[in-house]
Amino acid sequence: MAQEKLLLLKNIRTKGYAADLAAYRAAGGYKALEKVLGKSQGGMTPAQVTEAVKASGLRGRGGAGFPCGLKWTFMPADPKDKPNYLICNGDESEPGTFKDHYLLMNDPHLFLEGMILGCYALSCHHGYIYIRGESMYLIHRVRKAIDELYAEKLLGSNILGSGFDLDLTVHPGAGAYICGEETALLDSLEGKRGQPRFKPPFPAQAGFNGCPTTVNNVETLANVPFIINNGPEAFAKLGTEGNSGTQLVSISGHVQKPGVYEVEMGHNLKSLIEDFGGGVRGGLKLKAIIPGGASSPIMRPESIDIPYDFDSVMKAGSMRGSGALMVFDEDTSIIELANRTIRFFNHESCGQCTPCREGTFWLKNLIRDFVDNAGSEELMQRVDRVAGSILGNTICAFGDAAGAPMQAFGRVFPEEFRKHFLR
Amino acid sequence: MAKVAFNDEAMREVETLFSRYPKKINALLPLLHLAQRENEGWLPPGWDTYLAKLCGTTVNHVRGVVTFYNMFRTVKPGRHHIMVCNCLPCGVTGGGALLEHLEHKLGIHPGNTTEDGLFSLEEAQCLAACDQAPVMMVNEDLRKKVTFDEVDAWIKQTRSSGE
Ligand SMILES: Cc1cc2nc3c(=O)[nH]c(=O)nc-3n(C[C@H](O)[C@H](O)[C@H](O)COP(=O)(O)O)c2cc1C
Ligand code: SF4
Ligand code: FES
Repeated sequence: MAQEKLLLLKNIRTKGYAADLAAYRAAGGYKALEKVLGKSQGGMTPAQVTEAVKASGLRGRGGAGFPCGLKWTFMPADPKDKPNYLICNGDESEPGTFKDHYLLMNDPHLFLEGMILGCYALSCHHGYIYIRGESMYLIHRVRKAIDELYAEKLLGSNILGSGFDLDLTVHPGAGAYICGEETALLDSLEGKRGQPRFKPPFPAQAGFNGCPTTVNNVETLANVPFIINNGPEAFAKLGTEGNSGTQLVSISGHVQKPGVYEVEMGHNLKSLIEDFGGGVRGGLKLKAIIPGGASSPIMRPESIDIPYDFDSVMKAGSMRGSGALMVFDEDTSIIELANRTIRFFNHESCGQCTPCREGTFWLKNLIRDFVDNAGSEELMQRVDRVAGSILGNTICAFGDAAGAPMQAFGRVFPEEFRKHFLR
Repeated sequence: MAKVAFNDEAMREVETLFSRYPKKINALLPLLHLAQRENEGWLPPGWDTYLAKLCGTTVNHVRGVVTFYNMFRTVKPGRHHIMVCNCLPCGVTGGGALLEHLEHKLGIHPGNTTEDGLFSLEEAQCLAACDQAPVMMVNEDLRKKVTFDEVDAWIKQTRSSGE
């Protein structure tokens, strides 16, 4: 029986873990911070921390899988006239994704230690943690953990006598999926409508209030303490070529045991469903999976005996995305999935780009025709064409995130569309 | 008409918020949340102008922001604002059925409030708790693995107590 590989969830999996500062410390927490900022072990420079993260091969866990250390090197090493910012992306609104909430709720300090280390590496003195506004319970939780840190002088001025000053602030969103896109998030943090910006300039050049900024996912930052404590090699040793470390996978849908599981990068996808998800519930057969959140193309059971990591899932024609694995049994209507998917994207389009705003609207109407059993071969082709016309023609990646899965439904399950033709 | 201004206690929170951002305008989202908390979950007329003055921006800017985000409301919600997740994974594992059940039970469609002002209903997008389906949020409270019986009992009790 396959077992979890515990690096981020070690504390959470320990019975009776209280998840407060004292418990986190008792479990060896804030040792990495001590190593970097404390006097006893000589300390590390910001550049050394960045170098370690780079050498670990850590890739961003927010969806795109961009190398984290490399991203950090885009920031000015020695900010003079403008401050540097590190912003944590805890928006987590991609349908099927709930691992960041799980981690923050059950072990906020693991993430916070990573966040502090990240701020130090980027010479940032005020970091922001953007959490979606619906999750007030989570916002309270993280604020409480931050208060504990101020009380113990692990935040504020001169942390651990190092001369490094840092403030952290939790910023609530207000119900808009698009604010998970990093430039929309920055606008939202500035007090504006959350609309994605043209790039360039990239956030490292002009981000929050026009200052150099890096945006990182919760899970990405939570990996940093391990890398500092155990060295980049220990992290790089885990996972597959170019996909190092472990990953949090959110498994949902028709499985017996939905939940968050931690496995090495590249763990077999089929095993995730069977050994961790407990297989399809109710003794039913597997019909389809969506491997990486609503923006990732659907797959058939025949094609899922592959390693679950960024590159392998991409090679199989889909995406690992944010690690949101959705499982659907034989009774599921693929048209219903297509309908739910496009209703979501149409609702959440920020409306700036015509192809995205209009395309998602027309796709919604087209899929509606299939729901009403009024589809046809021609309409099927039109779905493909309209979805294709969004791809690559928009300001932000939301356009691709909406178009690609909509093309996939018809490509992967054409027979399901034909069941809904007008007779 | 109720006064359009924060009371002294809320004003202290405002000052704290301002101290956490480089610019006052950056605090607009948390300020809007605070204003809604102080006003039974919505932004009565006049608050856009008031908040605009408070953080040195235009009314139009505040209105633009208010209309962009789902959570900001210019119509008073029910005392219990219910958001049912009917998104992709939840939808097929009980979320759709729960929403239908609530529509039936409350006699309203999503986007509306019951006549007694006790409940309002909204269809939510993914609430990041898909493994706990079906889920619903009642004001700030996330309820997981919700059963019809549980919902019925809660509605009944709320109706009879009138709050
Ligand atoms: C439409 C859209 C939604 C996104 N939502 C999220 C999100 O909820 N959380 C997240 O971490 N990244 C999200 N991203 C990715 C971010 O833009 C960004 O790449 C990420 O936060 C960078 O962090 P990482 O490098 O640590 O992964 C989204 C991207 C797009 C295009
Ligand atoms: S692609 Fe869609 S969500 Fe992104 S900026 Fe354009 S309209 Fe907005
Ligand atoms: S789909 Fe309902 S919480 Fe994610």
